[in-house]
Formats: sequence, C-alpha cells, structure tokens
Amino acid sequence: MKFADVAQRLGAEVAHRGSTFDREELHHVMASDLMSDVLVVDRSRLLILTALASDQAIRTADMVGAAGVVVVNGKTLPAHMTRLAAELDVTLLRTRKPKFEACVALRELAAP
Amino acid sequence: MNVLPISPEQSSLVILDLLFKLKIKEVMTTTLITAPRGASLRDIQRLMKENGITGVPIAEGRRLFGIVSMDDIITALENGTVDERADRHMATNLVVLEDDMPLSFGISYFDKFRYGRFPVLNRNNELVGILTSRDVSASLLLELFKEYNKLEAQIQPPAPAAGERGRVRRKFPAKRYDFENAGKASHEIKKELTGRGYDPRLIRRVSVAAYEMELNMVVHSEGGALTCLLDPDRVELIAQDHGPGIADVDWAMQEGCTTANEWIKSLGFGAGMGLPNIRRVADEFDIQSTVGVGTTVRAVIRLPPVAPSPAPPQTP
Repeated sequence: MKFADVAQRLGAEVAHRGSTFDREELHHVMASDLMSDVLVVDRSRLLILTALASDQAIRTADMVGAAGVVVVNGKTLPAHMTRLAAELDVTLLRTRKPKFEACVALRELAAP
Repeated sequence: MNVLPISPEQSSLVILDLLFKLKIKEVMTTTLITAPRGASLRDIQRLMKENGITGVPIAEGRRLFGIVSMDDIITALENGTVDERADRHMATNLVVLEDDMPLSFGISYFDKFRYGRFPVLNRNNELVGILTSRDVSASLLLELFKEYNKLEAQIQPPAPAAGERGRVRRKFPAKRYDFENAGKASHEIKKELTGRGYDPRLIRRVSVAAYEMELNMVVHSEGGALTCLLDPDRVELIAQDHGPGIADVDWAMQEGCTTANEWIKSLGFGAGMGLPNIRRVADEFDIQSTVGVGTTVRAVIRLPPVAPSPAPPQTP
C-alpha cells in the first residue's frame, strides 16, 4: 500500500508530504504510543501509528528509518512537530480514527 | 496586577528544571528596606520613593509584623491618615514564602495571590528576604545564561575527517529532561553514515543505539555527553553521564525494568527497553556504573567495507 491509499482509507489529512510519498510501498505497520517499543522494531518500509503527537514520534521514525507517522484519535499536531517532519523528511498524517480502528482499516487495505 | 509570564506547568523543560533546582533563598533580595511599627505612613512613602520600591515590610530586628504597600499609602492619602503609625494600617494577614522552597513554589504564589512581593522567612520564622517578580526574572535570565555557557563549553568542534587514520570523533552534550533536543545527535550520526552509503539496516542499528543512549541520559541522568567514534571498520558510541548512577546494573539490563516516572511515560518513553535494546543492536556492549558518580555505556557496531565511491543516500 502507498501513502495515498492509507490517507484515503483512514480519512487522514496530510500534514507533511515526504519526498517518498508517491513511491514508498509500505510493508509494515507498528502501532504504539510507546516510542521505546517502536525502537525495538527492525523493519523496512515501516509506517508508525501512534496517539503521541510530539517531536519524539518523528525523531523515533527517523531513527528506525520509518517512512511515515500517522497520528490517531484526531490529536492536534503541534506546529513544531510538523516542522520537524519536514526537516527530517518523514511523511506525517493525522486521522480522527482511534488507533484500533485505524489498525483494522489498514489490515483490510493490505489484505482485502 | 503582577503576573509573571512563566508558568511552572507550561514552560520549556530547561526552565522547569531551573525552577525546581533553584531555591527561593538563591533568588530573593536579601538587602531589606524595612520600617518599624511606629514609623508613619509618610516615612514609609518616602522610603518607597527613595528606593524605588512598592512595598515595605514592617519589621523589628528579624521579626516581621506586616507589610505596607503602595496601595495602602494611596488609601491613607485619600483618607488623610498618612501621618498615622504603620501598624495601624499595614496588612497583617500575610502570605509568606520559606527560603528553602523551590522557586517554582514562589512563582505559583505570584499567580495564586496576585501580590507583587512576598516576604521570605527562614525555618525559625525570621525575616530573611523578599521575593519580587523582578528577582525571579533577573535570576532566571542569569541562570539561563550560565546553562547556555555550560552547554556551549561542552560542544567540541568536529575533528577533521582525515584525523587518526580516517577516524571521526564527535561529542554531543545531553541535558536532563531536554526532550526538545534528544535525538539531534543521533540524527547527525545517522546523516554521517547515510552519506557514506552504508546499508540502511546497519544505519538503523547505529541510530537506534545512539538515540536510546541520548534518551537514557535525558530521562535518567543529571546530564552527560554522547561521543561517537567513527572508524572505517566500526562505530563506537559512548554515553557518559555524571550521575546519579545505577545501583543494580543487572536489574536495569532486564527488559521492562525502569525507574522512569509517569510524566516520562506520558511522553512515550521509560518503558525499560533502552539498555536491552542497545545491547540487542550492538556487536559489543558494556556498561559501568557507580552510584553517586555516573554511568558509562559503550556500544560498538562493526561496519563492513563500503565501495570507494560514495553511494547516494538511501531511504530504507
């Protein structure tokens, strides 16, 4: 699945469109509010789903080489978070869906 | 009224740290201008004018009886009582601070009570100072300047790339509770490796180790530094902090064992996965800690040879 599919499926707005937005094929999703747990994930083409609307969600994505972050629960994105996403070239989406529902929706998208 | 533009709940973490670290006795004015109970309000008004102040504690020796503010003088002028004794018009229902309280406490008082100044008493109820919003601003500026200089001093210019047989050495300071900057050092290290065309999976291991080290110092230590030694065949990361040290290193190395508080956890960290995760991604790992001195964590990740021509940056 691509970012455009994810955004459409989750009814998500694109807060920052990273340089790989159109071409990145996302293979794995990690859903957690605990960045400590995300840092243990050893996957490429990763999308992070989290309710943590903070700089550290973007930093964590950068460190594990994740392609993007989806902030769930309609949390407001602080301006500095969006700025950091642009600086580190991490695609940032925001959806009103709760995390569990977003997971289910992405599962259906990956394997209809 | 007198409201400080500083909130003990919403300020930046560096300021919050200072607010808790600084005690009121380090910030307050200790050269006191006071008047005895028998002084007239007119005497006090003169004292205010001469010294450019808006409140005078009524005290004898170190015993505090009350306070006369500019408002009391204005009222006395209106009512024609300005020649009367201070103790007949002073405020006696006083809100005072203790000199051992953290500054954050003092700031919350400015919000809560909307007074421009608070007398400060010591443990024996003796008047030892007065705290005004000006004292708070001035001391915070001074302390921030000191912190700034301390951090500046810790930054070392990057060594030239062709140092000891191609070794690159970078040192990055890490400050307690400074979540705003945690991750910047790891990002620099990641950028350096990406520029050299290493495999993204390898870069991820180095980045994760560096980031966990940075976070550990920000969450648990009183400050320290992350050093990165980049050789052609290996990256060595050394996180060295100056306290408080880990009492039981074996315990801390277990997954899920943490001393982080709820506030740290609400920021998405402190799950007790940091040290085990560094060990997981590293080829060599060791940790040394002494309570009261500090902790040093060292991780080495071996690098395979790369093609001589630098590859373009890759995205995992």
